[in-house]
Amino acid sequence: MDDKEIERILSSEEHLVPSSGFALSVMEAIGEAEAEPQPARFPWWRLGVGVAACTGRAASFTALVHDLDPAAASALAAAAPELSLAAAVVLATLAWLRARRVFRVLD
Amino acid sequence: MTPAGPNDEDAADVRRVLAGDPAAFAGIVNRWQTRLINLAWRFCHDRTLAEDMAQEAFVRAFRALQSFRGESAFSTWLTAIAINSYRTALRDREPAAVSLDFVKASGPGPDVLAGLQERERDAAVRQSVFKLPPRYRDALVLFYFEEMNLAETARVLGIAEGTLKARLHRGRELLRRRLG
Repeated sequence: MDDKEIERILSSEEHLVPSSGFALSVMEAIGEAEAEPQPARFPWWRLGVGVAACTGRAASFTALVHDLDPAAASALAAAAPELSLAAAVVLATLAWLRARRVFRVLD
Repeated sequence: MTPAGPNDEDAADVRRVLAGDPAAFAGIVNRWQTRLINLAWRFCHDRTLAEDMAQEAFVRAFRALQSFRGESAFSTWLTAIAINSYRTALRDREPAAVSLDFVKASGPGPDVLAGLQERERDAAVRQSVFKLPPRYRDALVLFYFEEMNLAETARVLGIAEGTLKARLHRGRELLRRRLG
């Protein structure tokens, strides 16, 4: 079978006529689609505010610890790094909870 | 006075829909239903499925109407949406099994049997297209659909003309190999 034969076959498909109710059924489907609520967009703005809030809180906490007793903070970090990690997690959680409250206010 | 062409009518209907008159989309459906159903038919050879696929394509087009900026012809935009929609619909469907034995056995002949064999062979060739990898299938179906030209087909598929030529060549080659 050569290219011309393939071309002839693919170009000579039978032609369908739409069913009588096709256009109506499409318009019904469109009516239903229109009635559906629009999908919610991803809240990039809120995400940005949340990330900024978390970063700010972590930075302020670190600054606070260093201001109170820098030597003790360094010693704690060296002696028990897992404690520092736990503190960071607690802090991040608190910041997240706080950020949720901020979002509710913004709503 | 020049009569309004399909593009003008489409653009006017798009404007009306976007202005808050969804019923104006009926004009678009009436003008393009035959094309979309026939295009879907070439991907599945199942009338009911073809109409379902075309309907879904229209719904998608309606939802995406705001993205039509008139940079390309409405037909190109609509066909591109339809092709993407059909691709999704067919992704999980197993193509129907086709016996190609008679393709190899048949030959030209003047009698009725030969005519019947030729029709069966043509049907087998068309169904073999369904089994090609989607990139070759889409190129072949679209290029030979209503004899679209290279530039238009490439625009609808979102590929360069050179890439389309390569896909058509490779698609025909695969078909030839499969048909023996």
